[in-house]
Amino acid sequence: MKKILKVEQIQKYYGNKDNLTKAIDDISFEVEEGEFIGIMGASGSGKTTLLNAISTIDTVSSGHIYLEDQDITEIKEEEIAQFRRKNLGFIFQDFNLLDTLTIEENIALILTINKVPEKEIDEKILEIAKKLDIENILQKFPYQVSGGQKQRCAACRAIINQPKIILADEPTGSLDSKAARQLLEIMEDMNRTMKATILMVTHDPVSASYCNKILFLKDGKIFNRIEKGEKNRNTFYSEILDVLALLGGDARDVR
Amino acid sequence: MLGKLSIRNAKRQAKDYMIYFITVILSAALMFSFNSIAASKDISELSSYMNEFGKAITGISILIIFVMAWLIHYTMKFMLEKRSKEFGTYQILGIEKKDIANMFTLENLVIGIVAFGIGILAGVFLYQVFTSIIMNLFQQPYQIKITFDPKAVGKTAIYFFGIFIIVLLNCRRKIQKTKVYDLLYATKQNENTMIQKSRGNVFLFILSFVLFGIALFLNHHEFSSETEMKPRNVFFAIVLAIVGIYLFYISISSFIVKRYLENKTKKYQKTNLFLYRNLTSKINTMSLTMGTIAMMFIIILIGGNVALLMNNMLNNEIEMGYPFEIMVSSPDGDFSQYKEYIEKNAQVKQMYEYQTYYDGNLYYMGLSDYNHLRKMLGHETVDLNDDEVIIHCLRTLKKKYEDQVKQKGETTIGDKKVKIKEVRTENFGQLSFNGDRFIFVVPDSLVDTVKAEQERICKGTDNFDYNSNDFGYRLVVTTEESTDETFYDELCEFIMTKEIPMTQEIAGEEQTFNVSISLGNVMTKGKRMSVTKSFYTMVSFLAFYVALIFVMATATLLAIQQLSDSEKYKYRYALLRKLGVDELTINKTILKQLFYYFALPMLIPFVMSIPAILSIAIPFKIAVSMAEVWQNIVSIYSLFMMVYGIYFVATDVQFIRNIESV
Repeated sequence: MKKILKVEQIQKYYGNKDNLTKAIDDISFEVEEGEFIGIMGASGSGKTTLLNAISTIDTVSSGHIYLEDQDITEIKEEEIAQFRRKNLGFIFQDFNLLDTLTIEENIALILTINKVPEKEIDEKILEIAKKLDIENILQKFPYQVSGGQKQRCAACRAIINQPKIILADEPTGSLDSKAARQLLEIMEDMNRTMKATILMVTHDPVSASYCNKILFLKDGKIFNRIEKGEKNRNTFYSEILDVLALLGGDARDVR
Repeated sequence: MLGKLSIRNAKRQAKDYMIYFITVILSAALMFSFNSIAASKDISELSSYMNEFGKAITGISILIIFVMAWLIHYTMKFMLEKRSKEFGTYQILGIEKKDIANMFTLENLVIGIVAFGIGILAGVFLYQVFTSIIMNLFQQPYQIKITFDPKAVGKTAIYFFGIFIIVLLNCRRKIQKTKVYDLLYATKQNENTMIQKSRGNVFLFILSFVLFGIALFLNHHEFSSETEMKPRNVFFAIVLAIVGIYLFYISISSFIVKRYLENKTKKYQKTNLFLYRNLTSKINTMSLTMGTIAMMFIIILIGGNVALLMNNMLNNEIEMGYPFEIMVSSPDGDFSQYKEYIEKNAQVKQMYEYQTYYDGNLYYMGLSDYNHLRKMLGHETVDLNDDEVIIHCLRTLKKKYEDQVKQKGETTIGDKKVKIKEVRTENFGQLSFNGDRFIFVVPDSLVDTVKAEQERICKGTDNFDYNSNDFGYRLVVTTEESTDETFYDELCEFIMTKEIPMTQEIAGEEQTFNVSISLGNVMTKGKRMSVTKSFYTMVSFLAFYVALIFVMATATLLAIQQLSDSEKYKYRYALLRKLGVDELTINKTILKQLFYYFALPMLIPFVMSIPAILSIAIPFKIAVSMAEVWQNIVSIYSLFMMVYGIYFVATDVQFIRNIESV
């Protein structure tokens, strides 16, 4: 399998010499094409900082992150916008949809800024929207639809341009359990049938059980990693709970 | 697609920032109408002084541009902050910063262009209103005609879009500089609390009042002192007041915390806790803006009052100083040429020659002259016994002289003791033509005495002011119709060509020299009216223009602050509702919150400006009565409150609507 993402000994420090916080303390891992990888940890364990570093929202103090062969820690400021729109898809906890645009336009925006020919735009949107079960609400504005629908729209926006990797930050955080399950099934489907590589940060063991590989962070370090392999979701779920118990006192924060 | 997004955003912005939008429209309308006035031939031809009006408008535009730039800059910066997450999302989606900046520019230009368009249309209407008011003031007929001066449109466009473009360039730079991380996580940053530093702040709070006190004292001292005013001290007072204002608004939040939140009974009354916290959380970040707003209010209140004082003074001066249409004084008492000229060029009703006398200290005139003048002005005549005199003074000085007469009802003329019969105050030219603020009217039997006194003074000393060329010879004329500017100019030209040889004994030597006649020797009511009307129009309109823009800009700023936070407040008030607070109490709390918020920057200006105005009015007292000063204060304040109040009510209505909308 081709390696999509390679994280090499990255560190992220906050503060000054006397009062140093290591948000990320020497983390290395790799993500292969077609993987659905989860990152778990208590709050303050560094998982969002890690995601921000990979998504070029934040910079690292040392170390390198390669997306395919490109070192994203060394991308120039003027190239960053192009890099993001070509390579990355995002799903946020609070959707980040533009409320002046309809659902369809929110999705189309990504295609227009990537200069996809106008004739193909409608077709493409409809195709994906059907898979994500949002084709009925395409003409509505974000404030007119439910949270689950909004998040599916965000997922649609994230995948429509076929990015190299989709980065999801607590995508189920603002959803009820039914909408969350629906979204996760869709993400699982995106991963399987559309071959999307997904990196998801979550503290919810149910969400995590949809992944096929999970990294556990504690105090900025990788504490453990487990793989789903051929196991079914329920077995994987109990395995996750076991690791969380191992994480110790902090496990109370996790769930 | 990005264009479409911009247009939609612009629409949303216009709705969210309705009050700002309306203010920008009104400002454009005012700018346009004033630029039209500046360019209008009809108005500049009203009098020779109205030429200056156009120049003054152009000058004052600089001030207006600064204030508008301040408002627009503040609002755009505010929009950028409020929409940081949206801009972060654009960046995350991979839109180039340049394109984001373009979008923001387009958005605001669309708002600007729409506001400009509506503003110009409204301005055409406003211009008609202003022009008819001015024409009415000059008693000129005016036909309403829709004019559309391209020069005025151009000027307004340059001002208006100049501001927009400069502010937008600034915002673009800001957008280019920001990091996506800061944009996405900006809202999560906490505001600093100032409670830790509370003791230092209470000190600053008290210090600010000390500074206000010193500033007001200095101001009063300078304006009331008999000697010449020292501009340095007034400047110093202004600096102290400015420092005081900023200190006050920096420290007030701690004061509220200390006074109310640390006082448990006050704190837990009704919704006070909620209210004070809402207020203090905002003032912390707003203190500098509040200070600036307060300063602008002071400028409006004091500036407006000074403008009215000047107008009062000019108007009263006409009444007090120009009871006759034409008033001429001459060094030699030979009025024959003038009389001939005036009779030829004006429709004379009555003409009278007389003399007033000066003994180096006081002015006198004889009873029969006095009664003649009274008859000319339509007043009843008065009688005097041989040992009685009358003091005829300005009406503003009546009380002063009556008090003096009560204490000592006698004086001496020559070597004769006389009784002061009464103090009269009819407008009679006693400002400078007949006497100097007051004149003694003596019985005819005493005229020779005062005349001898004047001659003694003239001959015996070199202190006598030759420059004034005033030996008391006077000519007054009443006419059927008011004279105009041209009459005055031509009369002056006629009189000025005359030079009079005078012989005077100075320091024991006889000297002969030529005296030329100065402009001060000729006064016509028509000329003076024209000057006063021009000045009155200019000062009133400019003061109105500046004040209106200032109040609108500042009130809009406060409204924007409150309304754009309604997201936050919606949550807070929703919580109150969930906690069981009923609708009426919530609306009351909102009203209270906004009231405090709007009232706070008004507090210091209102308290500070009244004593300052009363001090400034002292030099005007000669022609302006105390009642008029208070009348000015009340009218300026109520006008201010009215405009400010409209914004306050609009904000309250919009606020409640925002909170209730889901």
